[in-house]
Amino acid sequence: MRQSSLRWHSKVTPWVFILPTVIGLFVFKLLPIVSALYLSFTEWSLLGSPHFIKLDNYRELLASDVFLRIVRNTVQFSLVYVIGSMAIGLALAVLINVKIRGIAFFRAAIYLPVVTSAVAVGIVWNWMLGPTYGVINIFIEAIGLTPPYWLADMKLALNTVAVVQVWKMSGYYMIIFLAGLQNINRDVLDSARVDGANAMQSFFRITVPMLKSTIFFILTITIIDSFKNFELIFAMTKGGPQNASNTLVYDVYLNAFVYYRVGYASAIAYVLFVIVGLMTIFNFYIRRHTVESLD
Amino acid sequence: MKQKTADRYRLLFIALVSAIYIFPFLWMVSNSFMSDKHIFSVPPKFIGDLLFTPQMFDNYKNVITQYNFGRYTFNSIWVFTLAAVGQVVVCSLAGFALSVMHFRGRNLIFSLLVITLMIPVQVTIIPEYYLFLKLGWLDTYLPLIIPSFLAGAFGTFMLKEFFSQVPRALFDAGIIDGVNAYQMFLRIYLPQSSSPSATLFIIAFMNNWNDLLRPMLYISSRKLYTVTVALSQFQGQYEVRWNLLLAGSVLSVLPLIIVFAFSQRYIIESTMSSGIKG
Repeated sequence: MRQSSLRWHSKVTPWVFILPTVIGLFVFKLLPIVSALYLSFTEWSLLGSPHFIKLDNYRELLASDVFLRIVRNTVQFSLVYVIGSMAIGLALAVLINVKIRGIAFFRAAIYLPVVTSAVAVGIVWNWMLGPTYGVINIFIEAIGLTPPYWLADMKLALNTVAVVQVWKMSGYYMIIFLAGLQNINRDVLDSARVDGANAMQSFFRITVPMLKSTIFFILTITIIDSFKNFELIFAMTKGGPQNASNTLVYDVYLNAFVYYRVGYASAIAYVLFVIVGLMTIFNFYIRRHTVESLD
Repeated sequence: MKQKTADRYRLLFIALVSAIYIFPFLWMVSNSFMSDKHIFSVPPKFIGDLLFTPQMFDNYKNVITQYNFGRYTFNSIWVFTLAAVGQVVVCSLAGFALSVMHFRGRNLIFSLLVITLMIPVQVTIIPEYYLFLKLGWLDTYLPLIIPSFLAGAFGTFMLKEFFSQVPRALFDAGIIDGVNAYQMFLRIYLPQSSSPSATLFIIAFMNNWNDLLRPMLYISSRKLYTVTVALSQFQGQYEVRWNLLLAGSVLSVLPLIIVFAFSQRYIIESTMSSGIKG
């Protein structure tokens, strides 16, 4: 596009501008990715030097029931998070896509948890979900039901944390959906109404198809974000009870910096890396074959 | 008239939904004004019993004097201001090069930035920790500042998109005046970017402020804690003193809520535009 303007800078100048970023890319991303692969074939406690043990860490992982449970937890957390965030994000966006005075206040209110630390979010939800004094259980008892032990229950802990994470982040996806909705030509919706389409029909036949590229964009980022659950798990359950809410990102931390099994933790990190990589490739594939052919 | 009633019902419904998002914050604030005696009362009291009494700020005083929250807030503010300024500078340099200049490897660098944006920090944290250990940077702020300086892929992406929308006429005017690359950046492109740069500064500041993993791993001296780490440690020690814990949470969240209140329009707009580009 700006081919004609090569003379305003020499060949070296762009590298002056981009050097810090390239250094960061190598030192904090590419090099660690390669070294983590090497470390995953070693036994190491951060002291001394890594001891090469070939595939032993991976063998141990595959034989470990705890690890298989953690992989299942990770997938379950991602499913709840992706489906929950997309459904609620879209519902909120449709609800709030209206020009009424005061709407900006509510929009900001729903966005507020996005900018709040996961630690503070975890603390206040722990307090509200507490077994005896928590406001949620007191309410459930008041209407005559038996409240569960949200975070102490083996079956419920993971889903509870995932739902809190959906609560925290749904405002973010709402805003992106809102941007997509506001790009839809209002005339199309108006003429559908004139033709006698009801709200349901125009939502599923017009709004959703026209939002296709936004939906895929949000699918991509919710999948990526669904792995970022370390902080909330740390603040709410520490992976418990008995690994019921432990996920791959939390387990990397636990093995590397609590148990000092750095080689083993690197193998877990690599399993995580491969899963994220496969998801990303899958996404690009879906995008290429569905969205772009329709546009 | 009919439209107006419909709007009114809709607004009421929106208000009810928003309550789900606001209630935990109100609950946090109101319980942080509760005395030890009343914090566990059943049925729960909705208004803190210390409010508007002479002991109103006792929990807060406790947290600030005994647990040093003032110091941790100050630590977070200066460290993360520095980190965010660095990120804005580095990202605008890179964003300018990637959007306006031509050079070999440009697409490769950009693709690598976007791809690495998707990798969770846990994949790279172990070698990163080892690097800072070997450099002797543990228990200093350098590991909290330097990665934020150098590895701001999100900000680079954001400013690249912005710079590529700067009107071509400005670029041509620069060329006619015979400016060099540095003048082109400093005099023509940078002055245009005050609004996205400010937004990036705030987003970077907030992300760093809320981060737990890095400060938890790299900072061990109590006096160097960031607010978020302090709160998390505080949680471990005072699990049963909920009124104090909630007062600490309010203190850790308050600075960001104030920043957000003044900048929410820009933050939400930048979220919207990054969405459209997807």
